[in-house]
Amino acid sequence: MTHFEAMVLFSLLVSIAFATLSSDHRTTAERVKYGAKVFAYFVGFGLILAWIFYPLPF
Amino acid sequence: MFNTETSGEAAIPTPVSIGRTTIACIAALILPGLGHLVLGKWVRGVIIGLVISAMFILGFIMEGHLYKPERNEWLTWFFSFLNAGMGLPYLVALAADWGIQVQPEQAAKVTFEYGNTFLCVAGALNMLATMDAYDIGVGRKA
Repeated sequence: MTHFEAMVLFSLLVSIAFATLSSDHRTTAERVKYGAKVFAYFVGFGLILAWIFYPLPF
Repeated sequence: MFNTETSGEAAIPTPVSIGRTTIACIAALILPGLGHLVLGKWVRGVIIGLVISAMFILGFIMEGHLYKPERNEWLTWFFSFLNAGMGLPYLVALAADWGIQVQPEQAAKVTFEYGNTFLCVAGALNMLATMDAYDIGVGRKA
């Protein structure tokens, strides 16, 4: 398993849990939308951070 | 209750008895998702149970390990607290010394730290699920 695959898997599972447990999103449609948003944020920020850290020597 | 969860309509919060809420919280710490099942939240219970169990199992597949508190290493207390959020599975692993010890070849694996993260986050999510079960029990949320 690569780092990216592990990150995507982690993002997927955590976003499903967050969407399921959310108090602010009550209907199924709201939860699905929120879960997709959290997943996109996780993967997006992960890629941005990886891109920023890539040239660093440590 | 099953229908209100799957219909897409927002359900109205209804508190249950203190006894049932207590049983739900204990059940959530015995097996992930069981607390929601006790409260009749079948869909939520199954999703939470599958997601948290998957994270816990994947943590071991990725060669991660569980922490136990060490006297001189305060960080192990923090990670042990997160692992302990899994409840009974963590206590069983701790008692049987299963998945606690780290082998040098295990620590050298690329996915080792990912595995540790999966195990810690699985525990943290189960704590969140337990609090969610409590909130449903007292009628704070549907």
